[in-house]
Amino acid sequence: MIVRRLALTALLCVAATLFAPQLRAHEASLGVIELREVRPGAFIGRWTMEPAIGASHVDLRVPAHCFLRMPQLICGDKGLVGPITITNLGANMSAVLLKVIPMTGASRSYTITTASPVVSILAAGAPTLQTWIELARTYVNYGIDHILLGADHLLFVLGLIWIVRAGWRLAKTITAFTIGHSLSLAAAAFGLIGIPERPLNACIALSIVFVGVEIVKQQRGAAGLTARYPWAVAGAFGLVHGIGFASALAGLGLERRLLPGALLFFNVGVEVGQLAFVLLVLALMWAHRRLNAVLPRWGDLLPAYAIGSVAMFWFIGRLIRVLGVT
Amino acid sequence: MRRRLNRGAFAAPLLLVAAQSADAHIVASRLGDFYAGALHPLTDLQDIVLWTALGLLAGSLGAARGRGLVLVLPLGLLLGFNVGLSFGSTWIAPLTNAGMMVLLGVLLAAGLRINAAALLAIGLVLALMRGVVNAGGVGTATDRVLFGAGLALSGYAFITLITALALTFRGSDTAPSRAWRRIAIRACGSWIAAIGLMVGGFALAS
Repeated sequence: MIVRRLALTALLCVAATLFAPQLRAHEASLGVIELREVRPGAFIGRWTMEPAIGASHVDLRVPAHCFLRMPQLICGDKGLVGPITITNLGANMSAVLLKVIPMTGASRSYTITTASPVVSILAAGAPTLQTWIELARTYVNYGIDHILLGADHLLFVLGLIWIVRAGWRLAKTITAFTIGHSLSLAAAAFGLIGIPERPLNACIALSIVFVGVEIVKQQRGAAGLTARYPWAVAGAFGLVHGIGFASALAGLGLERRLLPGALLFFNVGVEVGQLAFVLLVLALMWAHRRLNAVLPRWGDLLPAYAIGSVAMFWFIGRLIRVLGVT
Repeated sequence: MRRRLNRGAFAAPLLLVAAQSADAHIVASRLGDFYAGALHPLTDLQDIVLWTALGLLAGSLGAARGRGLVLVLPLGLLLGFNVGLSFGSTWIAPLTNAGMMVLLGVLLAAGLRINAAALLAIGLVLALMRGVVNAGGVGTATDRVLFGAGLALSGYAFITLITALALTFRGSDTAPSRAWRRIAIRACGSWIAAIGLMVGGFALAS
């Protein structure tokens, strides 16, 4: 009986800890703004639900070619196309629902939140060439930025390179990682799979710890799993990293009809960034060999411990966030 | 007309070399302070010329003498960067940069075989100078640790690659068919010295 009560209490504590952030989020204020097109390229904005901080305090930023002076929004011939953001989202205003009502066609809704403060508005109707060019420019750049700023993804790729070194095996390993993260990125972006972001980030950190351990094994003369089947390990962990990429894409509030295109361009951007990183690492490895600038024997394990320590630090920090301690 | 074109052709590279570093805030707003620090020296022609000259010199002296720079340049940059943050970065006179260009250029052009200690000393002085100057790119909202790490990593990658490329290009000392390559590197040295003289002249004139 006591055991059962204790178990129930523990379960409630865990649930309260896990759901605490969501419970708090409901207390925050929501705003709803409607942008109605009154003539081509000209909109009238109206707050149908004013946020607690007051409509006049909302710092709404519209695309560069548009001019906003509430209630008027003038976008000219290009129309209301591009990123819209609110810079002062916070505890007093956690989300704003944006409704765009065009003169013709169905109205569209976007949600701007603290987690996804930018929404991309694309032209109504069938996508034109201009729409695709805009989409490609935005998402290729976004993919490059995402991988270059994702130190955890880069560290994992560095670990793979360290184990496999060069040649066809490396090409196959990096390809497997690419296929893995592309598959899960697509599945997550289309809503086929969904994993909460915090535990996922902890898993990503753990994948780098795994690679660090594998490097240590290899340096000690034992062939680890990655050394024997690098493509399998890269592909499997690629699936995990891909869901992480998808969370960045989902945060932009993109329309579903343009999701496949955005996904493709985002993935192209990620690959461009990843390829640039791999080439830089390979060039530096070649340069070190050429200069015979290698670590002394006692320092053989330094890179592995450096990679493993950084990843473990991330893992513990992310695990604490999963458990809701902070 | 031709004279004007010649003057323009002469003045353009001089202005480029003498120009201050480009604004790295665009990079910072997009990719953060680490990449801003990494790209800051690469937007300044003085850094590019000086680092390239040092890498060419190290490569032309061989792997045994040049490899120490792989560590010395980034550490020196980091040290200089901290000095620049503490004491400001405007006290490094443009003439000092010009003098360093001339020195490296002359050493390359003359084909002098300086020893590893001398090369490392030159590399350290250069890194300290450029670290101080690059600290000037730090804004009030910049994360100094990330900017400094980016700067040091950029210096490491640049010097490692240029030294290895120069070493590969030069080839072995015993191959007579590759003599023209060593001459080409020496010719680069004379150009670098000439750029240094122009920068120095411009600094004295302004």
